[in-house]
Amino acid sequence: MAAPPCAFSPRGCRLFASSGPDGRLRVWDTAGSRLQHEYVPSAHLSAACTCLAWGPAGARQPPSKDGPQRKKRKSEVGEVDKQLDILAIGTAVGSILLYSTVKGELQSKLDGGHDSRVNCVRWHQDSCCLYSCSDDKHIVEWNTQTCKVKCKWKGDNSSVTCLCISPDGKMLLSAGRTIKLWDLETKEVYRHFTGHATSVSSLMFTTVKPMNESKPFDGITGLYFLSGAIHDRLLSVWQIRSDRKEKNAVMSFSVTDEPTFVDLTVSEVKEEPVKLAVVCRDGQLHLFEHILNGYCKKPLTSNCTIQIATPGNDGDSTPKPVPILAAAFCTDKQSLLLVYGNTLQPIIEKVSLNTSESHICLVRDIQKVLSLKTDAALTKVKTPVVNSDTKVLVPGIPGHSTAVKTPASGKEKKKKKRKPGETEESIEERLGALDIDVSKVKTPGGLPQTDSFAVLLVQGLESNDAEILNKVLNTRKENIVKNTVARMPIHAVIPLLHELTKRLQGNPYSASVMVRWLKSVFTLHASYLSTLPDLIPRLGMLYQLMESRVKTLQKLCRLHGRLFILVTQVAASQTVQDVPEVNQTAKLVYEDDSSEEEGSDDEMIADKDSDENWDEDEEKEEQSDEQDMTVEKEINGDSDLEPENESEEE
Amino acid sequence: MVAPDALRVVRCGGSTLRGARAVFSADSKYLLCASGDFVKVYSVNTEETLRLMGGHADLVTGIQLNPHNHMQLYSSSLDGTIKLWDYMDGILIKTFTVGSQLLALSTLASAEDSVFVVIPKKGERDTFQLVSVKLTKGAGQDLESKELSVVLDGVGASMKHIAFGREGAYVVSVKGMNLQVYFFKRKLLNRFSLSTLKTKGGDNRFSCVVCHPTEDCIATGHADGKIRLWRNFHHKKEYTYSTLHWHHDIVMDLAFSMEGTRLLSGGVESVLVQWHNESSCQKDFLPRLGSPIEYISMSSDGALCCTLHTDNRITIINSNLRFSRSIQGLIKSRDVKTGLVVDPRTKALVLNGEPGHLQFYSLQSDQQLFSLDIVQRQYIHEAGLKQSDLVKVAFSARGTWLATVEESEEVTDPELQLKLWFYHEEAQSFQLNTRINTPHDNHITDMCFRDMDELGEDSLILVTTGRDCVFKVWVMVEDTDPEAQQNVSWTCDFVGSYHNYQATNCCFSEDGSLLAVSFEETVTVWDSLTWDLKCTFCHPPGNIRKICFGRLTCSKYLIGATDYGFLCCWNLLTCALEWSAHLNVVVLQPDPVSEHIAAVSWLSKESSLFVFKPNEPRPIYIQRNLCKDKILLAAFVPRDEPEMTSSKKYLWLRKSQLFFLTDTQELMTLSTKSLEERLTPSNKQLAVEESLPVTPFSLLLGKHRHQQAQEDVDLGKPVVHNKQEQASPAVKELLHTPAHVLPSASFLCTIFINSLLISKENKSAEEVADEVEMESEKAEDESDEEDVTAMEQEDTSHMELLGETTCKLSKSQEKELRKIRKMDYSWISAF
Repeated sequence: MAAPPCAFSPRGCRLFASSGPDGRLRVWDTAGSRLQHEYVPSAHLSAACTCLAWGPAGARQPPSKDGPQRKKRKSEVGEVDKQLDILAIGTAVGSILLYSTVKGELQSKLDGGHDSRVNCVRWHQDSCCLYSCSDDKHIVEWNTQTCKVKCKWKGDNSSVTCLCISPDGKMLLSAGRTIKLWDLETKEVYRHFTGHATSVSSLMFTTVKPMNESKPFDGITGLYFLSGAIHDRLLSVWQIRSDRKEKNAVMSFSVTDEPTFVDLTVSEVKEEPVKLAVVCRDGQLHLFEHILNGYCKKPLTSNCTIQIATPGNDGDSTPKPVPILAAAFCTDKQSLLLVYGNTLQPIIEKVSLNTSESHICLVRDIQKVLSLKTDAALTKVKTPVVNSDTKVLVPGIPGHSTAVKTPASGKEKKKKKRKPGETEESIEERLGALDIDVSKVKTPGGLPQTDSFAVLLVQGLESNDAEILNKVLNTRKENIVKNTVARMPIHAVIPLLHELTKRLQGNPYSASVMVRWLKSVFTLHASYLSTLPDLIPRLGMLYQLMESRVKTLQKLCRLHGRLFILVTQVAASQTVQDVPEVNQTAKLVYEDDSSEEEGSDDEMIADKDSDENWDEDEEKEEQSDEQDMTVEKEINGDSDLEPENESEEE
Repeated sequence: MVAPDALRVVRCGGSTLRGARAVFSADSKYLLCASGDFVKVYSVNTEETLRLMGGHADLVTGIQLNPHNHMQLYSSSLDGTIKLWDYMDGILIKTFTVGSQLLALSTLASAEDSVFVVIPKKGERDTFQLVSVKLTKGAGQDLESKELSVVLDGVGASMKHIAFGREGAYVVSVKGMNLQVYFFKRKLLNRFSLSTLKTKGGDNRFSCVVCHPTEDCIATGHADGKIRLWRNFHHKKEYTYSTLHWHHDIVMDLAFSMEGTRLLSGGVESVLVQWHNESSCQKDFLPRLGSPIEYISMSSDGALCCTLHTDNRITIINSNLRFSRSIQGLIKSRDVKTGLVVDPRTKALVLNGEPGHLQFYSLQSDQQLFSLDIVQRQYIHEAGLKQSDLVKVAFSARGTWLATVEESEEVTDPELQLKLWFYHEEAQSFQLNTRINTPHDNHITDMCFRDMDELGEDSLILVTTGRDCVFKVWVMVEDTDPEAQQNVSWTCDFVGSYHNYQATNCCFSEDGSLLAVSFEETVTVWDSLTWDLKCTFCHPPGNIRKICFGRLTCSKYLIGATDYGFLCCWNLLTCALEWSAHLNVVVLQPDPVSEHIAAVSWLSKESSLFVFKPNEPRPIYIQRNLCKDKILLAAFVPRDEPEMTSSKKYLWLRKSQLFFLTDTQELMTLSTKSLEERLTPSNKQLAVEESLPVTPFSLLLGKHRHQQAQEDVDLGKPVVHNKQEQASPAVKELLHTPAHVLPSASFLCTIFINSLLISKENKSAEEVADEVEMESEKAEDESDEEDVTAMEQEDTSHMELLGETTCKLSKSQEKELRKIRKMDYSWISAF
């Protein structure tokens, strides 16, 4: 079974028509890789589609023969007509269907020309003639206006498999096993070309005008054309010569398997190479680039081979090849349209050419592409992939922001880029010396002290033991915190600060505990910290974190106040039954949207239920006094930090 | 090509489809829409534009099929003409000049050669009247039709507010709180009005009206979402109405099915509601249509209906409320905040689409490729609800990275998100890489990537400028976290500010070494390696509106446009002003593939285009009065293949094409080609005669009929009409009998063959044939022409015998036929 027939529409390959094994004709939009429409011929099972051809690209308005009055009116108005893209479909029983892809309906059926399988249909570029060849050894010229056979002649002794019309439109190439060049006026054989052992499957002219302009007497001499045959791994190039010595092919291109789809860019100038894209039965695409001039004995190998494979990283580990079905050059001759995957649901992709590499393997996850495509079938809305492992930067997280540099202070050191690993290493070096100090701390008194965790903390910092650190840092007693910080050795201060910063970035709830630690570190070790030369980069992150947290404080307060009013009102309305209206329309919707903020806010104040007072409600001030104080201290703590930084900057 | 061809402004992207209700052709194969100044014919099967009929000089406001010829179409336009088209061939048949602006059009089958249009009332603003226009008959193509007669006064300006009742007996119009019904025959005008007090807080103004096709019933839609069905409105007092209520907001349009059994309604909820029976309130829904429904229309056979949406889309829906097709023009969003950006991968124009979506519009094929859902939030229509929408979009040079900024509509405290998307080749889709919440504390004013193809991914830098007085530089870093699947993510590398001024624009030089950021009045130039401030430029007074670097040979220049109407060009080598020009520039757009820069100015209500090279202060090209609308955005789109143009004047258009977007959201481009040339590629048409083989059954029927007709012609007798009908009673019966009462096919077969053979019978079978005829006749119509037809039949058979040279049946065949014929098939007459 030959490859299913498919064809790109002329003029920029906007559409791709393919007929699957089920006999349905599908038209795909190449830009969006979207199924445009589907047509089921009435006899799609008995008379399967064997070949396709789009209506000619640059057809002139055919001279009006029938219905002259209609035509006249049309020309009078100068009306705008959208092209009627006609697709000619050859069938296995010998009839040819003309299908309008714009209207989405069958235009006409050409019957009575062939009584066997139609092998190839070709439109004439200028007149609206259609040529077809068949297993019944005949070539038929059709008048598509009247849908009548214009001429029918015997083309070969065996079945005629392929046709091609010369660029000037006066000659026709036909091929069974031998290639014949016919004069279309007289329907006589002009030349013979023999060389293929099997029946020819593709024929194409590679040049539009003779390379040496000296003898254009018949408009065909000097032209090159290309042919490929079934079960043949060589594509031959022939030249039509005046001396009738065309015994053999001029040159040949070798590919890995039988060619199933061929596209080329026609070179118009002599120096411009012909670009050839050959899709083989094994699903590979070979690209050739060659300037045609004269003989070349050795078969040329491809400049570039393109393969497509699945990634194969999940589940099945081996990547599977994905067959390429068809390929076409875009109008810029630089990029290719690739059609690959299943014939029933192909994927069409535009790939820009990079011929410097000789072998390209494109990795494509077919399943994913198809699953993404199904949404876009009707609404054209594509949803981009959003994975859960996406990096999220919120204010306060390192990388969200860096210190603002104003041009005024631009002379200072510039490149302290965020590399969290660097500083930590230096700390560990310092920690190496820590052992001695620790032992010193341990030995002197001998008495067990319970009012400080200094030793434990240093141990924890040293060994980076999360368990010990959790235990120590979750202490809420003000006294113990103070004592611990006071008694800890001076070199452990910076590691502690880093640990605290890390914890501050995490759960906002734990932040309230960490702030106490920070506060005591800054009050007790301010003098040591101020001696450090690289304090700003070390504490920069902490500073930014604080700043961004504080920035949202006002908003949170506002939100909190609103929420509080709402909650109290709801509570009030529940107690007093007949309160008429509760304002719950738009505000509720709004609050639902910003649930994230709410959540974090709630967590922050989770343990302090009386915290509400701090906006507007003054009634319950007494009981929440204590809590207010802590918050204020938090703010103070931050403001403590700021002067220090500034002093360092000077 | 003629040398002095002028550059023409050409519309593309399809004009708005919302001018009028779409109309289905009589066979439901085509859909006709008013689209800007054109009428478009779409194929329902393929969504393709079949024909574009142009000729109107202004917006088309109404289209209607000619009730007397279904292949013709009337269209009315604001230019005051009614045109009659043959829409299948796209031929303009006639133009009727009415004189005043036409705002809506309607036709009636009962009104011979006159149509109804809505025109503004002379002397009064915002009052409109429905008039009937007598279409003059004449030979010429252009005719004057000034014979107007006022039908109704004070009507709404749209066809939604006017409806014609059953068989054109009355006309209904709604406006504000009033409903008026005018009965043509009785010349009676009934007015009904809703009281404002009746509804509590609701707004029950009328929004649309339709009439039941078979009953005296009017359906009206209201601004509060109710649908009222009015009956018995012949009487001023005793009218009744019932209410259907589902919509929560204004009912935009209503449509009855052809039999009137179903009522379709649509509104801003983007849900199509189908009401089955007014009493039982049974209804079906088709939700998630994407955008508010503007118009609903039904096909005449009831198989399809279509909805026109406010986002310039037509959705074709099956009778069982299933999506069938959608035709999408350029989505007109409320405000194109993202600007016009070109996607390097698909070469499509990228701009705001539906709220939260990014539309990719292919300029080559002039159709929407797809729209990308960036915000990924359900769009809920609710007045006053803040939606987040995209405000900035940037692509990296090869299209591998896409940066989007979305913000909620709040003015003071925007909720900002910067998202960086990576184009995942394997999945052929964009994939979210980094999401940055609140990248700036205030609105983001500009964003750009450093575009450097050759240096690869490492050089990729994104710069955002914000009103919070800083600009931020984002770079890609390798992820240190081993658990993360992605190996790169984005972080902030540098934050710069300048004297606490708001940063307004940013732009990289071509080689990526310099970054220009404008802070209100000043342009600052930064070194992109060390982030040192290199130099500053300013041209007071006035803030910098746009900046851009020169390219290629002009890369040493920096161009800036200020609020005070100056276009300045600074030399970066000498750090001095090279030249400046007094020009109120609203759009400054450099061409990515050449050194040309296009500036669009807005002065005294017209837009002018200036194309210049920075190294020469004289513009290369000037076009004054480019268009009447204000041009808001422009983009150069590189062409696939350089256009060949003879004129030196338009060399700047060779490699790329310039597109504009006006404030009315029309996408326009400049074309050097004359009208005919531009149309040629699409004008090519293969004239292929429609010659479809008939199906076997119709072939059988057709042959039979044909034969009969042939006989009649042969006889040279006038064909008696009902004779032909009776000639194939068996066939007729077969076709008209319900399938469930038909006997088996094998039984029918004989009768069928029998009936086909009648005309070829010879004399001996004559009586039988007569009998057949008689019987079937009786069964069929019991006409009084019995004898006549019988006689005729006899005649024919006689004549046949005389003239016949066709095949004679063999004896045995004849015998068999006779046998068959004698079989009793009088069962048919029982039905």
